[in-house]
Amino acid sequence: MSDELDEIQGIFFEECTEGLAVAEAGLSAMAEGDASSETIAGVFRAVHSIKGGSGAFGHAALLAFSHRFENVLDEVRGGRIPASAEVTKTLLGAFDILSDHVAAAQGGTEPPADAAMLAQLDAVLESKGAVAAAPAPAPAPAPEPVAEADEFGFTPVAAVVEDFDPFGFEPVAVQLEDFAPVEPAEPAGWTVRFGPSRGALGNGGEPMLVIRELEDMGAVVTGVDVDSLPGLRDLDPEDSYFVWTLRVPGTVGEQDIRDCFDFVAPDSLIEIDREEVLVAIVPEVPAAPAAPVAEDDDGFGVFEPLPVPEELLTLVPLEPAPVVAAPAAVPAAAAEKPKAEARPASVEVAQTIRVDLSKLDQLLNLVGELVIRGSILSDRLSPADQERVELPELSRLTRQIQDNVMSLRAQPIKQAFSRVPRMLRDLSAETGKKVILETIGEMTEVDKGVIEKIGDPLTHMIRNAVDHGIESAEERLAAGKPAEGTIHLSAEQKGARIIVRVRDDGRGINRERVRAKAIERGIISADAAISDEEIDGLICAPGFSTAETISNISGRGVGMDVVRSNVEALGGRLEINSIPGEGTTFTMALPLTLAILDGMIVRLGDQRFVLPLANVIETVQPEPGQVKETSPTSEVIELRGQYLSVRRVGELFGMRSQRAPEDSLVIIVESETAGHVGLMVDTIDNRREVVIKSLEDNLHPIRGLGGATILGDGSIALILDIDALVATGGSSKYALKGMAA
Amino acid sequence: MSTEDTELDERKIVTFTLGSRLFGIDMRSLIEIREWEEPTPLPSVPPYVKGVTNLRGSVVPVVGLSERLGWAPSELHSRSCILVVTINGRHAGFLVDEVQDIVVIQASEIQPAPDVEINEQGAIAGLVKIERRTHDAANAEAMCLLLDLDALSLTRQVPDFA
Repeated sequence: MSDELDEIQGIFFEECTEGLAVAEAGLSAMAEGDASSETIAGVFRAVHSIKGGSGAFGHAALLAFSHRFENVLDEVRGGRIPASAEVTKTLLGAFDILSDHVAAAQGGTEPPADAAMLAQLDAVLESKGAVAAAPAPAPAPAPEPVAEADEFGFTPVAAVVEDFDPFGFEPVAVQLEDFAPVEPAEPAGWTVRFGPSRGALGNGGEPMLVIRELEDMGAVVTGVDVDSLPGLRDLDPEDSYFVWTLRVPGTVGEQDIRDCFDFVAPDSLIEIDREEVLVAIVPEVPAAPAAPVAEDDDGFGVFEPLPVPEELLTLVPLEPAPVVAAPAAVPAAAAEKPKAEARPASVEVAQTIRVDLSKLDQLLNLVGELVIRGSILSDRLSPADQERVELPELSRLTRQIQDNVMSLRAQPIKQAFSRVPRMLRDLSAETGKKVILETIGEMTEVDKGVIEKIGDPLTHMIRNAVDHGIESAEERLAAGKPAEGTIHLSAEQKGARIIVRVRDDGRGINRERVRAKAIERGIISADAAISDEEIDGLICAPGFSTAETISNISGRGVGMDVVRSNVEALGGRLEINSIPGEGTTFTMALPLTLAILDGMIVRLGDQRFVLPLANVIETVQPEPGQVKETSPTSEVIELRGQYLSVRRVGELFGMRSQRAPEDSLVIIVESETAGHVGLMVDTIDNRREVVIKSLEDNLHPIRGLGGATILGDGSIALILDIDALVATGGSSKYALKGMAA
Repeated sequence: MSTEDTELDERKIVTFTLGSRLFGIDMRSLIEIREWEEPTPLPSVPPYVKGVTNLRGSVVPVVGLSERLGWAPSELHSRSCILVVTINGRHAGFLVDEVQDIVVIQASEIQPAPDVEINEQGAIAGLVKIERRTHDAANAEAMCLLLDLDALSLTRQVPDFA
């Protein structure tokens, strides 16, 4: 049972993460001046659902904080507090604390100190009085009564009308507007009857949690109905037999009550009634439908005629969390809940389903196998058969399936970028440096595996940029720069690589100091003659740190070292470019996907290798004399008046080939580090998409290899990592000695 | 399959030879036995890693077990074969001279290994006496060295990457 609860909790935290992302996106948009009602409502909803779940799972601190946060958001949403820059700033601060709360609840650690933030939120709430005196222009034609109805739980409904009327939600709007004018004269208490379904306990539904949450809102248990309790003989200790009756103060909103039941088994008995019906009817709108309310025993019969439920109910399964409400017992609940679900749909948020990543991986593997089988088939057919229409058709389909599966794993890199603004706010607070973030290309899609792994490198790079790169405001002004530093974060796709850059406009790398430190740490010898680029590269050396004092931001000498190894482990490369006084750019070149590669299959002796097609510029069949020796171990090729260095791939792999250059082919490849370089191979087999099989699955990564693939005939070809190969220089520095065999 | 549950003390081992020595590994680690096939050689790996081979779609390293233990490489012959095993979820193939048998031993029969001259500490989990399937009555019993595959894990041999 606790396992199931853990599982549901897991879903809750997953939703929290999503909610936080939504809230942050919304708040960021607000900070940039987008105070539209959808944006604000989006933030509100996100925080609201976090609150709902936190209550159900007994995360008291999180619940308390999100509740206060939500109150302020509600006011902002209702237009009673203007979404000014000041307010937004407070909201952003509150958001950060909320993230900490979620993290604390998830990690089971101490909740963060939030007293200061709560005080700020309260200040915003209080100062609203002044603001409200001169009512800000309401964002929507929401009449006052609707806003006030808040206390009675109708606000969400009203919000739907306000916010989403323009999005084609008329059917609901019309019905609800009929109801909106029904304004109770004074708050009456609620009577809540709650009977967990028989199987609720078995399913991990703990009624105590719900009751406790209600009690936190001031509810009192007034009675327990034990009528259905059977005799001891028939009693099943895992069944629930009780029906609790609670009295909830009228000041509590109905939605808040309903929220307590968010995680209750759907077939439980939930009745929420007004104690006494003190409903005044505002005779503006045809009041007829409202009239029965007064007599109606559940008070919500009015909702029944809504045309919405049936259609909307079909959307319910989209929400993976156990959905509340007993449709039969409380029609209102049925109508209420689907509406909440439907809102996102109405703003055309894509419908999604959650899929276990391992299932996707499996699918990807299968498609990979399919591709391989396709090649085998094609290899075995006669040339005449290969021309038949079915085969290209089959490979086209396979290719499409492959693309689709790949795109399932692709996610906008935004996911990795989204944690940066928060981090910068923290860093700014810690260091007192003001930093502006500029992001470009955050919608660039990258394989999920890549996104997951660039988080840490990105964090380290940004920390480094703020801590070491960007100067203090005074220093900047003295250097004629704006007081605020800027960090550019960009992502772009370039061929089969994703280039992620972190650029700051700080002081650049202090090469003198780096050099001195490297000598001091024994990383280089005192008389080493090294280039500026090499000095810059030293900051990635293990154990290197130039920070005079170890701050808690960076300076432990692990950061950049970790960055480089993480990036390399992904099959990527890290480059550092620094201009003294102007700033530093860290560039990560990452593989677009970890799974499939467009490659050129080349032959060396009897072994085949795959060259990533993205690196290939052209292929040259050298004329006699076109390849010249410059030293016994190095050669160049003359190409249209240019001399390009040529590497014999066979030699890089320790296989001495006696083939004359004119019997070989030179493939000109582009590398990030060494520009254009020629690679000499025996022949080219063909061009083909290959499925990358990582070597570290069963072995460990090998420098110079990007992995391996299985060819059509079942044999293995190694995939060359051009950049790593070329970077090793002419010498076989990376000792490809195992090859001798 | 089910015997391992019913008889906790009972273990099935696969025995094979390397030169004149008889070895055994736990049957549960074995995935398959395949004929020797020249693997695709790899650069930058210790000499005992012979290369990689295709095991039903995944790339599996092939290790010369004899060299791995610090002895002279096995000579290839018609009965050379590869034992494909799983070590902590990772697969590896070990080149051995000849697969002998599958025998059932009692865990209580396993004796601790005295110092065995190999370069990998702890690779020998113990010694056990087994009955050989042979007509040579004088030589019916043999000493079998039980290998601890965990100690042979290839990932522990990561050179200096990262």
